[in-house]
Amino acid sequence: MSRDSRISADDVRHVARLARLALPESRIEAMAADLRAIVAHIDKLSSADVDGLEPMAHPSATVNRLADDVPEPSMPVEDLLRNAPDVEGDFLAVPKVIGGDSA
Amino acid sequence: MSVAAARPDIASARLIVGLEIHVELATRSKMFTRAANLAHPDNFAAAPNTLVDPLVAALPGTLPVMNRRAVEMSMMVGMALGCTIPPRAKWDRKNYYYPDLPKGYQISQYDMPLCVDGSFDLRMGEAPDAPVRRIGIIRAHLEEDTGKLGHELPGGATYEGSLVDLNRAGTPLLEIVTAPDFATADEVVLFAQQLRDLCRFLGVTEGIMQKGHMRFEPNVNLALTLADGREVRTPVVEIKNLNSFRAVRAAIEHECARQQQEWRESGREMGRGMKSTRGWDDVAMVTVLQREKEDAHDYRYFPDPDLVPVEIDAAWRERVRAQMPELPESRRARYIAAGLPWKDVRQLLDEPPLCAFLDACAAAAGGDAARATFAAAKLLLNSGLKYANERGVALASAGISPAQLAGIVALRESGDLPAQSVDALFAELCTGDGEAREVAQRMGLLAVQDDGQLVAWVDAAIAANAQAADDVRAGKMAAIGRLVGAVMKQAGGAVDGKRAQACILSRLGAGGR
Repeated sequence: MSRDSRISADDVRHVARLARLALPESRIEAMAADLRAIVAHIDKLSSADVDGLEPMAHPSATVNRLADDVPEPSMPVEDLLRNAPDVEGDFLAVPKVIGGDSA
Repeated sequence: MSVAAARPDIASARLIVGLEIHVELATRSKMFTRAANLAHPDNFAAAPNTLVDPLVAALPGTLPVMNRRAVEMSMMVGMALGCTIPPRAKWDRKNYYYPDLPKGYQISQYDMPLCVDGSFDLRMGEAPDAPVRRIGIIRAHLEEDTGKLGHELPGGATYEGSLVDLNRAGTPLLEIVTAPDFATADEVVLFAQQLRDLCRFLGVTEGIMQKGHMRFEPNVNLALTLADGREVRTPVVEIKNLNSFRAVRAAIEHECARQQQEWRESGREMGRGMKSTRGWDDVAMVTVLQREKEDAHDYRYFPDPDLVPVEIDAAWRERVRAQMPELPESRRARYIAAGLPWKDVRQLLDEPPLCAFLDACAAAAGGDAARATFAAAKLLLNSGLKYANERGVALASAGISPAQLAGIVALRESGDLPAQSVDALFAELCTGDGEAREVAQRMGLLAVQDDGQLVAWVDAAIAANAQAADDVRAGKMAAIGRLVGAVMKQAGGAVDGKRAQACILSRLGAGGR
């Protein structure tokens, strides 16, 4: 996506696909216009003078929020399954995915 | 074919491989939450979806907190690989949708990883004097594993959809990336094996390949020298998720042949947008195209706002360095120097807890370290493994203490414990706290040290086996076994075979060997 706020219809289709959103063709132009407005707004940040400043990884100055490696109980499997649209035994069931795990 | 004919012949092909390795860290809890970790031995047998908490399931309102131990294990691996541990690391989101990833993103490290710029001295074979080749380590970063997708119901029936098990989701995963420094499949496999040894000795992973504790992704291409003298490079192929050394070797060898064929047909060369991803079919023994770069994921990495950066100062780094155990390469050299044959050394290196136990036994035995190591190792690998295998337990936790084992070593050295009684004493010591000599005494295992008694047994044996005695006198040493056997029979095992043999020779006047 270009930084100069010119978001094309194809950019919108691409982002919608990555987000797995079924965006009707009739809404693409309106969405592109909205996104252009949002990006233009955010782009105001580009006018800030950041010369000589280190990039920040996080707005907070806090670092090293670490927990000790001590396991705690899991949630009951029934509670997990209750949130799923479809289950099979103790598994969450989804439409067939080809190609194995994403890891 | 007419197109292929227009290309010059391939005069030679040089393989170029870089390797990405995913190591599942065996912390007790997960990377960013305290649900129990599937990669820890306590949880290997967990039923599906029982190592899940609201964060693993990505329920709204949950926030990640990083696991100190996972960070320290990663630092340890990085330091063992000669990496720099930068003073600051951060966390990024790698965004993509997949049913094994409930959040819709994986927390990873994009541009500020925990470990950078290391190297590994790869021993290019098993011989003690095998040459060493330095392999560059570009980086090692920490991330989280995904859940697992299956297609089989309990009991084995095939399910028409996909079944999601989130037990593995959130397991700390260390991704190590090497430079493209490998020139053969053999080198890659040796590296994979030696890296596994290293990680197991550091205690950061159980390293069970079948469980996917280590997964390998070679990036493979070829430098082709053509008949007309030009050199071209084939497009890089990434082979996903290999979890056996056999698959690593076979996939690289297959890709080496396939890329030459592919170049003859397409003439495509390495370049922007040419990289593709292939999977390995372990049955057909071929790589299979998974995706071309055109439709590769666009991960839209950005810093994770839910996690603060990690700052590692010199004090923390040194604290972790001080926890590092002796590395396998040093142990290997030490055991070989103690006189152990390579077969024994390999067997020891396959079991880090056994090595630690052996070292404790040798220390308890005292005296010359190499000599004690040799004697203790022989005891452990013979009587010890026999005992452990018969009972299906790990030798290091069979129940015998280093001091008890050192006691057996001492009894053997002094000649007080006959060879044939070692197994029985070992087994008895595993069941209690008794001191080796006392237990051997109580069991009647100690050798008879009364020379008069031994001479009587020997003389009787000679008298009863005149032919064998004559043969030995005539220099046919093979016949002595019969006489030794006869002595042992009378002694009921209470004499050491070597001592009996020496006595027989002296009584026969057949010389002191």
